[in-house]
Amino acid sequence: MNGPLFPLAVFFAAIFTSNILLTNFLGMCSFLSVSREIKTSAGLGTAVTFVMATTTVLNWLVYHYILLPLELDYLRFIVFIVVIAAFVQLVEMVIERVSEGLYAALGIFLPLITVNCAILGVSLFMVIRDYDLLSSFTFGLGSGLGWFLAIMAMAGIRQKLAKARVPKGLEGAGITLIITGMMALAFMGFSGMINIG
Amino acid sequence: MADKAKKRPLVMKQKIMAQVVYALIPLVVASIYFFGWRSLAVLAVVNLAGFLSEYVFARVYKQQVSSAVFVTTTLFALSMPPTVPLWIAAVGIVFGVVFGKMVFGGFGRNIFNPALSGRAFVYVSFGYPLTSSFIEPVSGFPGGFARWLPELDSLTKATPLIRLSGGQDLPFMDLFLGSTSGSLGETSALLIIITGVILLILKTASYRIVLACFIGYLVPQTAFFFIGLSGVLHPFYGLFAGSLLFAFFYMATDPISSSQTTNKGRWVYGLLVGVLTSLIRTFSSWPEAVTFAILLANMFAPLLDYAFKQAAAKKKAAAT
Repeated sequence: MNGPLFPLAVFFAAIFTSNILLTNFLGMCSFLSVSREIKTSAGLGTAVTFVMATTTVLNWLVYHYILLPLELDYLRFIVFIVVIAAFVQLVEMVIERVSEGLYAALGIFLPLITVNCAILGVSLFMVIRDYDLLSSFTFGLGSGLGWFLAIMAMAGIRQKLAKARVPKGLEGAGITLIITGMMALAFMGFSGMINIG
Repeated sequence: MADKAKKRPLVMKQKIMAQVVYALIPLVVASIYFFGWRSLAVLAVVNLAGFLSEYVFARVYKQQVSSAVFVTTTLFALSMPPTVPLWIAAVGIVFGVVFGKMVFGGFGRNIFNPALSGRAFVYVSFGYPLTSSFIEPVSGFPGGFARWLPELDSLTKATPLIRLSGGQDLPFMDLFLGSTSGSLGETSALLIIITGVILLILKTASYRIVLACFIGYLVPQTAFFFIGLSGVLHPFYGLFAGSLLFAFFYMATDPISSSQTTNKGRWVYGLLVGVLTSLIRTFSSWPEAVTFAILLANMFAPLLDYAFKQAAAKKKAAAT
């Protein structure tokens, strides 16, 4: 499958069939700790989507135009992390200058994204699966949206969970992991819809 | 001990849940008629296992066992294929009750439909025994009432759903009355519609959700069919094959795991179930899509509730 529709297929697959969070279980740490409130989840989700889409493209350029010609591709782990960290820093500075409100809203989340494993994971998948530039972009965007969707659903569920009487031993991370498991079970329904690499 | 039991009966009485159980009785009888007395054995094992797993938790929580657990167990049992190994049925219901409901604190607090959680769990874990050993039902008088299980040489590898998507034709009346292979309680469209409509009239189930489910399913399914994608079910046949009707009437309308606070939320929730059913049936590797569709809709129901409540609050604030 390498037709003109491939980037689109990658996009939907990244959201549903191979959701970065619910099928690959990447980006769990911030998912577990930040999903307590719907508003903050939406903020973090947006930030992750934006950074994921952009850094995947940046990393693709760096990988194909710098690392590969210089035969330095064994350095990709370090280089990708540096690119992500630098980009996040830059975005933070720009946002601070341009929009006080957004900067205050995103707060701690922007720096947190630097260490979100899903972002690095997406860049590495892009290399392993050998996507072209456009597919890498749709893959990054789709994965980000998939992550956004998952954390929003989780935030909604945790809001409802306030009424639940979860046993003491399961409070917090325990019940959240169980719910994540059930969500992943539900997402298995999408399996086989679209196959990408 | 005795007067303690008097003060607090073991099982909490819940009128609505009892109504659902009564509505399911015709389906249980039909499952015995079509698939023999073994279906009653499946029901008994599932009920016992489900009850015990709720009982263990209820004792620790110092609660009563809710009668909702019998709705869960009966729905789960009726959604199993006739030849299901009893231990798999038991594992499924224990998972459903414990992880679908009791870890959240018991009745009324679950996020996902417990019966469907159990069903999805066993489908994913034990694919072969659950999807490839369906049998043809018994027909004529006295039907399955004189049998333990229909003859095993009628073992067929396919349900109507699988056969229809393979391009075979089936007599419509068979689908409608239920004399086709399939899960225990899901084959007879006629009985499900009758009992389901009674529940709607009694307002035990929300007609908004059911209606929205059907619209959500029929619109994309018809579109896919007329575009001419390969392997798409005829929307009308698809309606009567598999567990679609059963799940739409009995499982999507679960008052706890569905969207429950606003009517708009109910509509959107139902549409979501329907559209996802159509999408998953058509494109994914699972023939039976409703289970996953409803679990996915369960997952987003709290968010829908939240969004519509916020919107309503904003409107109110703007009006005053």
